[in-house]
Amino acid sequence: MSKFVRGAAVAGAAACLLASLASPAWAQDKTSIEWWYANGGRVEEGIQKIIADFNASQDKYEVVGIKKGNYEETFAAMIAAYRVGQHPSIIQSSERTFLTMIDSNAIVPVSELMTQQGYTVDWANFVKPVADFYLVGDTPAAMPFNSSTAVMWYNADHFKAAGFDGPAATWPEFEKQLYAIKEKGISECAMALNSDFYWSLIEGYSSINDYPFGTKGNGFEGLDTEYVYNTTPVVQQVERLKKWIDDGVIQLAGQGLSPMQLYTSGTCSTISASTAGHADVEANAKFNWSAAFQPHEEGVEPHNSNIGGAALWVLKGKTDAENAAAAAFLNFIAQPDTQAWWSEWTGYVPVTNAAYEKMKAAGFFEKHPTREIAIKQLSQGTPTVNSRGFRFGNSNQTSAILVEEIQAAWTGQKTVQQALDAAVSRGNEVLRQYEQLHAAQ
Amino acid sequence: MVERNPVLTIICHLILLAGAALVCLPLYFAFVAGSHTGAEMNQVPFPLLPGDQFVENAGKAWQQGNFSRVFFNSFVVTLGIVFGKIATSIIAAFAITYFRFPFRRTAFWLIFISLMLPVEVRILPTYEAVADVAGPVRWALDVLGISSVIATLTGYRIDAGFNWSLVNTYSGLIFPIIASATAVFLFRQFFLTVPDELCEAAKLDGTRPMKFLFQILLPLSIPNIAALAIILFIAGWNQYLWPMLFTTDKNMATAIVALKNFVPVGDSEGGWEIAMAASFFVMLPPTLVILFLQRWFAKGLVDSGK
Amino acid sequence: MQPSEATALKGAPKGALFSGWSAGLAGLLAPSEEGLKRSYFKGTGLAAALLSPQLIILLFFFFVPSWKALSLAFVQIDPFGGKSVFVGLRNFVELFASENYRYSAWLTFWFTITQNIITLVIAGALAFAIDHIVRARYAYRTVILLPYAIAPVVTGAMWAFLFNPSVGPIAGWLHAMGLPWDPNLRPWDAVVLITMASVWNHICYDFIFLTAAMLAVPQSLREAAAIDGASQWRRFRTITVPLVMPTVFYLFIINFVYGLFDTFGIIDAVTRGGPAGSTTTLVYKVYQDGFVNLNLGSSAAQSIVLMALAVLFTILQFRALDRRVNYQV
Repeated sequence: MSKFVRGAAVAGAAACLLASLASPAWAQDKTSIEWWYANGGRVEEGIQKIIADFNASQDKYEVVGIKKGNYEETFAAMIAAYRVGQHPSIIQSSERTFLTMIDSNAIVPVSELMTQQGYTVDWANFVKPVADFYLVGDTPAAMPFNSSTAVMWYNADHFKAAGFDGPAATWPEFEKQLYAIKEKGISECAMALNSDFYWSLIEGYSSINDYPFGTKGNGFEGLDTEYVYNTTPVVQQVERLKKWIDDGVIQLAGQGLSPMQLYTSGTCSTISASTAGHADVEANAKFNWSAAFQPHEEGVEPHNSNIGGAALWVLKGKTDAENAAAAAFLNFIAQPDTQAWWSEWTGYVPVTNAAYEKMKAAGFFEKHPTREIAIKQLSQGTPTVNSRGFRFGNSNQTSAILVEEIQAAWTGQKTVQQALDAAVSRGNEVLRQYEQLHAAQ
Repeated sequence: MVERNPVLTIICHLILLAGAALVCLPLYFAFVAGSHTGAEMNQVPFPLLPGDQFVENAGKAWQQGNFSRVFFNSFVVTLGIVFGKIATSIIAAFAITYFRFPFRRTAFWLIFISLMLPVEVRILPTYEAVADVAGPVRWALDVLGISSVIATLTGYRIDAGFNWSLVNTYSGLIFPIIASATAVFLFRQFFLTVPDELCEAAKLDGTRPMKFLFQILLPLSIPNIAALAIILFIAGWNQYLWPMLFTTDKNMATAIVALKNFVPVGDSEGGWEIAMAASFFVMLPPTLVILFLQRWFAKGLVDSGK
Repeated sequence: MQPSEATALKGAPKGALFSGWSAGLAGLLAPSEEGLKRSYFKGTGLAAALLSPQLIILLFFFFVPSWKALSLAFVQIDPFGGKSVFVGLRNFVELFASENYRYSAWLTFWFTITQNIITLVIAGALAFAIDHIVRARYAYRTVILLPYAIAPVVTGAMWAFLFNPSVGPIAGWLHAMGLPWDPNLRPWDAVVLITMASVWNHICYDFIFLTAAMLAVPQSLREAAAIDGASQWRRFRTITVPLVMPTVFYLFIINFVYGLFDTFGIIDAVTRGGPAGSTTTLVYKVYQDGFVNLNLGSSAAQSIVLMALAVLFTILQFRALDRRVNYQV
């Protein structure tokens, strides 16, 4: 028995000794900065490749890439670290956090940083709908990096068997196709519902069809914006989705299964999901897969869809050498070669025109026609107040509220109108809190 | 000898078999998932029988995840948590149950209340506390006016010089986890069941309190220490949120953080097979602890039964 | 004066004015002897020294951060720490006005009680069974403990997967039995699922302690009772149960704390609080609002409510149970 006590004591003492010896801070000649990112799998491999290439391309700076979980976890970790001054130089943050980042007073706008550090970046060369989203005034506050938009993936074999060439352009026609696929028993489920459906099928739907999501130009014109989507055809869109769920046309993946898996396995015939799904689909789908534009409502001239993905932000409170390193790295990322390689590797859209032209010239889109849908869809029609994007404070929270209320409609606890009314009123409370905090700047 | 009822014995075996099946089912599916290629994993329905890719997936994971380093980190951190928590808790529980002193119950409730706000709920301030350990001291010195006295007397500014961050250190990974009362509560419960005669006899012999603790109470506590060590080792090893938030240096990550990085997130899909295969070698140390320490608490118990 | 106290006083140095004063003060400050051994030591200094490591760690890594967290309950604050607006009790008012919060409180109450009792019953049955049998004891125990080694990060994902209505094999069996299982669309199924997952995750814990406690029952006592002709059930009831009660009480509290606080990881992996918030327990809400939504003010207000409730229930449990547990058998 005492042997056990002694053993434990020795082990513990050893652990304590090691603990006190810790804190590895090696002296380095290079200026080293951290970049916290939130992607896994193939996208992460791409990120690490870019970092390795940058580090090999020069000998003054070193970028260390660290994955901090998903977007929310990375964001929260960044905030925790920022509060005590231990934050990274560069943080990848989702498009949803745009306003929060701008109002945080914690960032250096990238255009400002690049100018300070003596780089000239041709901001006009960035693909317009992408760059526009990150603009404050005339110059972007963040470096667009992994930008996406949702496209309509479909199983060409299933559509052929049902007698269609591909997904229809309008929602009512598309609905008929889905019901036909189900009734003919061509697949187990006609459509899989992606977990970020609020982004593609609600927000994206509002963009493409030019319906207002909130007042004040979706928040672009002031913090006193209010959500209004309970008064637009979004109601009818949610009704439609509810009907599909009730009729077993659309399937929810739920936890423990990636919705994309329902599509790539051939179980579901369609899914509305990010163009970044290309890596997964190309690797795993064993059928004639393809993608199409998102449908729009009848009689509507479709506008551009909304962007997704994330951008790179530079955080305040770093030394000049560290800022120089960050600028050098962002400059490296903005190069057409890097851009084109990144887009080809991941399926994200090329964010500069130069990279886009380069890929076109190389015949990339002829070989991979679905890769071009996203960027075309992002540029379709003339941008309107309703389609140029969303600027709502605490958007992570209001999106969560929206999803919760829509689920209440799907589970039959509320009618669709009641659910969306509740989502709007709860969302507006959040907006008011945000306004109260940030209005007096 | 105590006679045994054969019907009851059979019922007991049935209960145990059912229990074993219940708890092992997910384990089996994790193994199945880890033994297929990515494409096979992505099939619907999911394969019910194991494939042949397990070793390959595990090897890939080991290499990509820097596991030789993070395993070492996990061991240091976990042993630190186990030893630190047991050591501080035993003496605290000893003080609370075997000493009569002012504020005894207050001390107990102060410790006990720490069960009521887990680290996940107060994660941002805890991060601040660990990144700036001297903060409260500075604050106290400021409030008491001591820092301004020192500044006038010596010209030394405490604010600037008195910083101490535990970010990316083993201590920072260990201490916030030690600060919880489960173990104190457990030892209190146990000490209360120890016969009073032991203490009375010890006192009659003139045994000093610390000697009583080490020579009488500790050996009696072996089963409890072993049970608690298993629990703490596993809980410490499987910590996720705190190390994830708290380490930025890849070389300071723990095995679970490395494992979680294989679990697919966000826009990118796939990689489940690697994550599941990795989960098997990550769970190896806790498994060995269960196998090894079980004997210890069985042994302690056989002794006390005599 | 109780005999043991007399013994204790006899052992103390005589005529020490200080010790008499100190005992008087102690009596004043801690009128109850609850949780103190009948035979105890003196020495406030030594006791303080023994307590100090624990208390210092708690001060730095628990009380100060908790105080900071809780003090945010009366403000609206920018998570970056830049701006904050004092809002008085508004965070609380909004909380209690919220229908979702009231549902969450109701859910948490039933969920905590249900998982606590089910866990104890199953773990108790397994521990009793393993205590009874002779053969294969080690093998059973090992197998039952083994899954405890898997990280919750992985187990949560596996549970979500196994019961996934589209692909999960167990969900498939349920469908084959004619049950309309779908935790994505049927809130009740989701509640059942997180309860089962939480119970499953915690059985091992209770099992370890109950097994240890049952093994600690001196064989000599049982044999003596058997010689006296006590039946198996009677021996269990009169010898094993009383000796195991302190452990059961310990587990009851720990299960309660576990159900209240530590299940958020499971909920996050299995249902993400859905559908429609039907599995959002109070602590999951605190975690979501504080860590994901970064609404620190509301999250802090929720923490205060949660902590107050937890402390209240714990005191009630102590009052109801601790006195009934007989520590001196």
